[in-house]
Amino acid sequence: MRVILEAKVRKKPFLPIEAESIIPRNFLKGTDLAVYEGNKERKLVDLFRISVEGTAVTPEKIEVVLKGDTSRVKRIGEYMDAGKITISGDVGMHCGNFMSGGDIEILGNADAWLGREMRGGYILCHGNAGHYCASGYRGEKTGMQGGRVEVLGNAGDYCAEYLTGGEVHIHGSCGDMAGVEMKGGQFIIDGDATRPCGNMKDGTCMIFGTVRQMLPTFERIGTKKLPDRKVTVTVYKGDVANRGKGIMMVKGTGRSDE
Amino acid sequence: MLIKDVVCPFCGCLCDDLDVEVENGRIIRVDNACTLGSKTMVGDDRLKAPIRRDGKGWIETTYDAAIEEAAQILLDADRPLLYGWSRTHGEAQGIGVHLAELIGGVVDNTSTVCHGPSILAIQEVGHPGCTLGQVKNRADLIIYWGCNPIDAHPRHMSRYTTYATGFFVKDAHRDRKVIVVDTRRNESADVATEFVQVEPGGDYAVLSALRAIVRGRGDVVPPSVSGVSREQLVRVAEMCKNAKFGAIFFGLGLTMTAGKNKNVRNAIELTDELNRHTKFIISPMRGHGNVYGTNEVFTWITGYPYAVDFSRGIAFYNPGETTAIDILRRGECDACLVVASDPAAHFPKPCVEHLARIPVVQIDPHPNATTHICRLQIPGSVAGIDAAGTAYRMDGVPIRLKAIIETGVPNDTEILQRLYNRVREAKGE
Repeated sequence: MRVILEAKVRKKPFLPIEAESIIPRNFLKGTDLAVYEGNKERKLVDLFRISVEGTAVTPEKIEVVLKGDTSRVKRIGEYMDAGKITISGDVGMHCGNFMSGGDIEILGNADAWLGREMRGGYILCHGNAGHYCASGYRGEKTGMQGGRVEVLGNAGDYCAEYLTGGEVHIHGSCGDMAGVEMKGGQFIIDGDATRPCGNMKDGTCMIFGTVRQMLPTFERIGTKKLPDRKVTVTVYKGDVANRGKGIMMVKGTGRSDE
Repeated sequence: MLIKDVVCPFCGCLCDDLDVEVENGRIIRVDNACTLGSKTMVGDDRLKAPIRRDGKGWIETTYDAAIEEAAQILLDADRPLLYGWSRTHGEAQGIGVHLAELIGGVVDNTSTVCHGPSILAIQEVGHPGCTLGQVKNRADLIIYWGCNPIDAHPRHMSRYTTYATGFFVKDAHRDRKVIVVDTRRNESADVATEFVQVEPGGDYAVLSALRAIVRGRGDVVPPSVSGVSREQLVRVAEMCKNAKFGAIFFGLGLTMTAGKNKNVRNAIELTDELNRHTKFIISPMRGHGNVYGTNEVFTWITGYPYAVDFSRGIAFYNPGETTAIDILRRGECDACLVVASDPAAHFPKPCVEHLARIPVVQIDPHPNATTHICRLQIPGSVAGIDAAGTAYRMDGVPIRLKAIIETGVPNDTEILQRLYNRVREAKGE
């Protein structure tokens, strides 16, 4: 079953829409769902042109396709557990919060908190991701715990903050403090990163671009050849300030002052 | 008439030892206050009555008509923002939060542009703090990190630290050591025992390095960290470990530079590490007189200290999403109520541009930069001058502000209560 939601043109296009009801499972019972626009509760049909093709009896067989301007639609795929969501443009904040299964594919850019506190499933973003991609929530000590987030563009600041499990792969570069407070999981950055892995406790971070402002509290423990990538990386352990046992691998020889 | 022990409402120090001379309902002299405090009390230039735009210019209006118009603006909005609150008393702030809940708005205070990141850090790792009285009586090492008290909190040093005689610190100027950490040599550095000059944006790395040194892993620290030599870092770490009672005070140099809440978190974790060796505390240098009060009032009503979004009927908090700056920059809100603050003077240009596009109502006694972009301004009295109420000092101590003169102007609590009642009536509740 395919559910196609095409965003209608709105009088106040910048007003945020909160649409945690847009997950495949909810469409098993029809399309009479509620969403919020600012402080007003609306019906899904008020904001989207809805068309449904085919039928399904399980959420795994449902694909939700979003079209039009969805850059201000927040919380799409929150608590999603099965099925697929495809967003043909940009998506608003908190896409895939707490997601435990299924796939989300974003053809445009994603705003902040993409895959926040994710537990399972797969998110693929073809464009750039905003700040706090695959991170935790304010004051929360556990971020993403499982699943996989892949961003083909760049990610903003604090990417994979409090990463605890699962895999985050940024094909472009990260902003400031990628992997800060990491506690587990695997984090791969193909591009550059600034001040990565501050206060890291555990987990593995690999950076294949340039590291800017490398933190002073990572202990160099050797080098390693990665045959599948055909590169040699310098391996650091840290964050020493935090008695951390995390591993950070940086392409090349690492810090210039050593 | 001389009034003694008056509380100055200007900055987070809330100095409570001012002598104020009043003559014919006017303040004519202030003793003991700093320049900032004196200017706040004397030569107070107020708006006489509510004003509204009529297309060509400003016209005076009545309080009743102004409150009616403000209520309509808030009722018509889909995402109203209620911002400011830090220069008024706690009683008015409480009504502001209830008003936000009633209209499904976002309520945010000035912490959003000052110590909001400190609160985020405290929510992650806690706050090892104490009152300023403890610091005055016990601390023999003071660290000012990313702040310049001589300019911004001029009496902080004389009342609580460098020049204040304490119960256990008899000869304050000799017994207390002062470390100043900043990106440039400021006035406060001139009275410091040790000045640490950090490259801009380098605070996080320096704090990490200090943590490693304090826990005995100085071996991994490179010879120079963000422009600070390892020797100096080791010296500073030793000074900290050898202190009987250390106090770190930090300002916007930590909270509003790259890393923001993570800088503060690192400073808190350094404090934590130092507590394995001696007694150490950390405290933010709060700016506005009652900004700490906004955090207290917001928290006891909603559970969150700032940036609270009521648009779904329940309180949601996520700085970066529900903060005034982010909402304005994204052009989300469609009406704004500004109370006891001046966002047009302090916010980034795109935010002020959006404010200029939407209806803005301001409740503030003074004509200011926000006056130029608002549709309606309602003057209230000033907490601590002609209105009484509760304010919180930067260390969380509530202090009663006195009304020292009588002007007959309604206070913010009365204005907001009338606005709240009018909105509630219109909603049929």
